Amino acid sequence: MFSKVLIANRGEIAVRIIRACRELGMQTVAVFSDADRQALHVRYADEAYLLGPAPSRESYLRAERIIEIARKSGAGAIHPGYGFLAERADFAQACLDAGLAFIGPKPSSIAAMGDKAVARATVARAGVPVVPGTEGEGSLRDDELLALGPEIGFPLLIKATAGGGGKGMREVHDLQEMPSLLHAARREAEASFGDGNVYLEKLVEGARHIEFQILADTHGNVVHLGERECSLQRRHQKLLEECPSPFINDNEEMRQLMGSVAVRAAQAVGYVNAGTIEFLVDKDKNYYFLEMNTRLQVEHPVTEMATGVDIVKEQIRIARGRQLRYDQESIHLNGWAIECRINAEDPYNNFLPSTGQITHSLLPTGPGVRVDSGVYPGFEISPYYDSLISKLIVWGETRAEAILRMRRSLEEYRIVGVRTNIPFHQNLMDSHRFMGGQFDTRFVEERFSMEAAEEGKSTIPEIAAIIATLVAHQQTQRAAHIIQRGERDTSNWKWISRWERMQR
Amino acid sequence: MKYVTSIGKKEFMIEIVDEHQVVVDDTPYAVDFDSVSGQPVYSLLLDGQSYESYVYPSEDGWQVLLHGTLYTFTVEDEREKRLRASLGSRIAEWGEYHLKAPMPGLVVALPVTDGQQVEKGDVLLILESMKMQNELKAPRAGTVSRLRVGVGDSVEQRQTLLSVL
Repeated sequence: MFSKVLIANRGEIAVRIIRACRELGMQTVAVFSDADRQALHVRYADEAYLLGPAPSRESYLRAERIIEIARKSGAGAIHPGYGFLAERADFAQACLDAGLAFIGPKPSSIAAMGDKAVARATVARAGVPVVPGTEGEGSLRDDELLALGPEIGFPLLIKATAGGGGKGMREVHDLQEMPSLLHAARREAEASFGDGNVYLEKLVEGARHIEFQILADTHGNVVHLGERECSLQRRHQKLLEECPSPFINDNEEMRQLMGSVAVRAAQAVGYVNAGTIEFLVDKDKNYYFLEMNTRLQVEHPVTEMATGVDIVKEQIRIARGRQLRYDQESIHLNGWAIECRINAEDPYNNFLPSTGQITHSLLPTGPGVRVDSGVYPGFEISPYYDSLISKLIVWGETRAEAILRMRRSLEEYRIVGVRTNIPFHQNLMDSHRFMGGQFDTRFVEERFSMEAAEEGKSTIPEIAAIIATLVAHQQTQRAAHIIQRGERDTSNWKWISRWERMQR
Repeated sequence: MKYVTSIGKKEFMIEIVDEHQVVVDDTPYAVDFDSVSGQPVYSLLLDGQSYESYVYPSEDGWQVLLHGTLYTFTVEDEREKRLRASLGSRIAEWGEYHLKAPMPGLVVALPVTDGQQVEKGDVLLILESMKMQNELKAPRAGTVSRLRVGVGDSVEQRQTLLSVL
């Protein structure tokens, strides 16, 4: 049985996994790239080994090197986190071949669910409803996809077969623009996953993105931990998640129905460990299987806050062959949790990524607040990895309390050195549609703008004007001071002394 | 020192009397103003009311992020304002525009060629950074010139990529 875990990841999730290992009394091994020598996961782990240069391909994606480090360091298991190698069946298999436990599902489940086309065909056979698309058709060429496009009907989505997180995804409104979008999607998929295959899927309009967390042990027990609301997205990147979903809320019948479908989907591939079944839900509460994420999710903390289950520790216990400590009856959602993803992106400049050194940081604390972060003052946000800085999670007895607590926490949170999307979340918290739970997956892109959100607010431009003026004034004074000092440097006395020295 | 601080068409007349007093449009206030541990985060006590905000210099003026709202001000002392009034309006509309990389990254697409006419909002270049493809767009119409990079090039932050004349 393993007692040392290698974490094949970086950033906040590596830190999160190290914390779970620590609490279970396990030794931890970190791996890092040249850009991450100073990263928090390297500092927190018991051991740390260099993988290679900064680009992911030469570091965090080097499966063989990671397995070799695990062997040398005596780690008995590898936790892949999310992204990088987390959903690569060949990596999971290579771990098993090397005699290492892979803290995640079996390679066959990753393969079955990881190839989204196969996944949809598999769950459809198990009686789970799916969105119309080119599921189960395998890898198609551009001309085949172009022929199938009109059959599925526009608007539709091009999605990367190996994808996730919106990478390699494009929305198509007519046949004309489809060839260039196919090209762009393949290019992005190739760059992100090393696999340029794509498939098509009908775009469900007015859809909500609701997912179910499941846990499955090696003894055949599967439970679901309720749902997460993930509809607030931009360019198919989730920005904010809630547990429970305001759309399901106290409709326990719908929750248990969808939950049992999720469990069935997991069982269809003999799933083990933590996983997530994503559904699209239309306004009439019809739900369609979207995909299964065969890994820990970024947004897992909201489920942890609402259920009290430590998902990462449960993952490790499952990998050690233990029985689940919960049955379905013992899982209850208590109160309300909200997570805001804090990204190094400038919401006032089209969410352009922002890089640089974090010079100052003050985390929100106090009742009901949790921050999962991978950075600290002095840490450099590099352009090599994604822009997630931290996750701010709050819990409240009710959704209203959670929103007020999130507002309070966002106001407390200070990050200096890079621009962050904190103001975006602040405006979202003030939005009436968000408060009323009236939003779908298009809300952020189509019905929310920073300008409009700020227009309606009771602002205090006078105070801001005073601050701007005081800063400008300080700068002018300082500039004047430097010039004066410069003058003193070349004072007549100095010239005389130089002249005297020259004469000696 | 007297300043004219403006946001859009709105102007504030702000006089900084000394370290402890400002006068805004004839109303005096007691101030206590300091940056927090030398950072661009500032704490302002204005007649006892406490405010904290980020302040960044930018090309368009001073950006103040206060209570989740971003304000962009130009701050001019009276001499500067008079000087500008005599010069007429801004020159940005007809000057050369140099597209600079807003962050380090990889040029993945360059949909324009040297000498091509572009409209405001046209995509000039796609820069991949942090796993995202970012479209850099023309801020105004003009002619693309002096392409300094090609597809596949890695670029540094603030490196000039091309110009629009």
